[in-house]
Amino acid sequence: MATRKKASKATAEQPKVKPLALPAELTIYTVGELHLQWREWLQQAALTEGPASVQADAVDEIDGAGLQLLLSLANGLEGRGTPLQLLDPSEALRTGCAALGLVDWLQRRTAQGAPA
Amino acid sequence: MTRRKNAQLDAADQSFIEAALPAFISEAQEQIESLEQLLLQLEDAPGDSELLNALFRCAHTVKGSAGIFGLDRVVAFTHHVETLLDKLRECQLQLTPAISTLLLQCNDQLRTLIAQAREADVAEAPDALAMRAALVERLQQTAGQPTAVASPEAATFAVAEALPEAVPASNGRDWHVSVSFGAETFRNGMDPLALLNYVRGLGDVRRLACDTAGIPPLDQLDPECCHLAFEMGLLTEATRDEIEGAFSFVRDDCRLHVLEPGATADDYTRLIEAMPDNPRLGDILVACGAITRAQLQQGLRAQSAMSGTDAVVPPIGEILQSTSGVSAQVVSAALDKQHAQKSTQRPAATRDGASAAARDDGRFIRVQADRLDAVINLLGELVIAGAGASLLARQTRQGALIEANGQISRLIEEIRAGTLQLRMVPIGETLSRFRRVVRDTAGELGKEVQLEIIGGETELDKSVVERIADPLMHLVRNALDHGLETPEQRVGTGKPAQGKLTLSACHESGSILIRIDDDGRGIQRDKVLERAWERGLVERGVTPADADIDRLIFEPGFSTAEKVTNLSGRGVGMDVVRRNIEALRGTVSLFSEPGAGSRIEIRLPLTLAIIDGFLIGVGSSKFIFPLDAVVEVIENRPTVSRLDARGRGFVELRGQVLPVVSLRALYALGSEAPERTSVVVLGAGGRRYGVMVDQLLGQHQTVIKPLGQMFRSLRGMSGSSILGNGEVALIFDVNSLSQLAAEPTASARRALKHHSEGQAS
Repeated sequence: MATRKKASKATAEQPKVKPLALPAELTIYTVGELHLQWREWLQQAALTEGPASVQADAVDEIDGAGLQLLLSLANGLEGRGTPLQLLDPSEALRTGCAALGLVDWLQRRTAQGAPA
Repeated sequence: MTRRKNAQLDAADQSFIEAALPAFISEAQEQIESLEQLLLQLEDAPGDSELLNALFRCAHTVKGSAGIFGLDRVVAFTHHVETLLDKLRECQLQLTPAISTLLLQCNDQLRTLIAQAREADVAEAPDALAMRAALVERLQQTAGQPTAVASPEAATFAVAEALPEAVPASNGRDWHVSVSFGAETFRNGMDPLALLNYVRGLGDVRRLACDTAGIPPLDQLDPECCHLAFEMGLLTEATRDEIEGAFSFVRDDCRLHVLEPGATADDYTRLIEAMPDNPRLGDILVACGAITRAQLQQGLRAQSAMSGTDAVVPPIGEILQSTSGVSAQVVSAALDKQHAQKSTQRPAATRDGASAAARDDGRFIRVQADRLDAVINLLGELVIAGAGASLLARQTRQGALIEANGQISRLIEEIRAGTLQLRMVPIGETLSRFRRVVRDTAGELGKEVQLEIIGGETELDKSVVERIADPLMHLVRNALDHGLETPEQRVGTGKPAQGKLTLSACHESGSILIRIDDDGRGIQRDKVLERAWERGLVERGVTPADADIDRLIFEPGFSTAEKVTNLSGRGVGMDVVRRNIEALRGTVSLFSEPGAGSRIEIRLPLTLAIIDGFLIGVGSSKFIFPLDAVVEVIENRPTVSRLDARGRGFVELRGQVLPVVSLRALYALGSEAPERTSVVVLGAGGRRYGVMVDQLLGQHQTVIKPLGQMFRSLRGMSGSSILGNGEVALIFDVNSLSQLAAEPTASARRALKHHSEGQAS
């Protein structure tokens, strides 16, 4: 799925959407607000060519609700044929993913598949 | 706060919460008790990871269930406690006595908060708020300033340990855990991430798969609804209960299946039924390990090959059955599920109900105590009615009827045993409550005390346990306050500085024996006597026997404490203790050796309701002994001729002298003594004695009815019972009867000697 292209929606001239920056706190306390912001971003990102980038170096607190939101973002993007690419996942994000059995999931979506 | 659901509660939720709140409070109180015990145990074994894990789980449980009830104060406060516990668990902090004290104080705070749970909406007093704020501040300070032990390397190591690969292999068994968290999980203040980290503490997580496909895409997601589900393989030495216990605070809102190593097809059937609703049949089978991916793909290929033809496409389940060894049961469960998903959404409750029922195996049910009491009262009536019916049946001399009645009687007996068992609880919980009392009291008094608890698993009736706690508390405090000396005094008398207090419990002849031993100074009889003279309890100048002096401390208004502390010495202690124990049909006695310590023995009946009795007859009267106290029975002995005026004498039993008492003489039952009598040998408090009776009528289920006010003073009796034919039988208290039988030993011996000398001359 991650490799599937959806050329029909995006044109080459369209500017690339700005990478989404994950906040420091990705927890139940912030998911409500983030959900609204991310939905807007997803609408644009899904229209662009190539993978949608998410800057993930700032995350320093994450819980199950935060990871679920991230998974949901990935599912939303990938359902529209746009792969999600995580840039520089922070230690907290890596640890969180490991805790939920998402090591492979993270690996596949990390830019260049860079090891930790 | 997004987690608060209190504001949005509608009337239905509110009434549900009101109904469930008492259960929550009692459960939370248990958790708080465990927290305290664990903290105290940790003081002896700081760094014990199992204790730390258990501690964390308790705190987490309280927080979790408080979240469900919208008790924000409890949730917020416990969160801070949890943060500190987490640091301890991850070895970033060492448990010092100061932290331990802080945590104990926090536990007290929690207890207060839980007690106020019903008034969650009432504004708190400013000083209570300030006190809690101060505790939170201390918690944060403690948690925020790691000791030198926690170097950055240590912290990294802790993180690395959390990764599944880094966990060292253990020797446990390979369990399969399937958990699908409920939608309300986040809103209830739970975090699956923290929970899975906790599960890691149980053993080695070999496989962990998150059902990422089950999470809806962003535009369909309610971010506060939990959709997380996991399949994991857990290599652990933990038991099923321990594994399930890790999920205890989300149990009501999650689907959890724990499959034992080598689970059968039946187990997988249940697992499949409880899985999240979206995965396809094949994925379910692979995820739960019932078949391999290769087997699945083989099945899929067979299906696609057949779809090319005109033949009716068989469902994948049939193909799987025909091409692999998957059991029909497993496949049909998966197929059922698939059908259910294809057709319109079946009411979820049906399946949830079924899986919940399956899940409930081996779990606890909380029952209101008064419902149980009602059943036990009815049971008492049933026992009496049953005895009446079998008596009538015997009188008809119809074999079939007697046999049918016998069968009913046996069943009643089983029901009786089973029902009474429901009320039995181990006394350990009550005893271990004293750890804190001993710790704090000893600290306050500047004494060093080691508390030992023996026989905590001894069971007795819940109502007895509840009512014995206060008297025991008094006795323990008294032992600490009056019995044990200060370290200097102890060292001065050649004892170790640390005093020893032992609480023990055991079963003995149908009753429970609780002992409180200390190795303190013992009863200071001169002081006791001085005080007794002062209070006019004993005439000045008269010095009773040592045992009688000891007994004086149970007299009303007696206290020897030189200074009145807030622990004891208010002079309300010991006589109230004795009254409370006697109200339970129990006895309390004290043994003391000056300078070496004291022992207090409390003897209590196991249950207040129904006992197994042994029915005997003397003349036309019937009596009952508790069956547990009956050691043996000697039938048809020649009547003992040499009895004193009150019916006491001796018989020879296998070369030993056995004191006997004749009930006919003792209670002046006006009837002719038969030529031959039987002797029932009873054991009580380590002594044996015989009771001479006319008839042995055998075992009898005895519903204990209290004696009326008039008969309370009767020595040797503890209650009455109604027999099947409506007659009343008195129940003996073997201990006080044994005192009657043993007291006059010396005089009886003299009388006997005198008698035999008289015969010889």
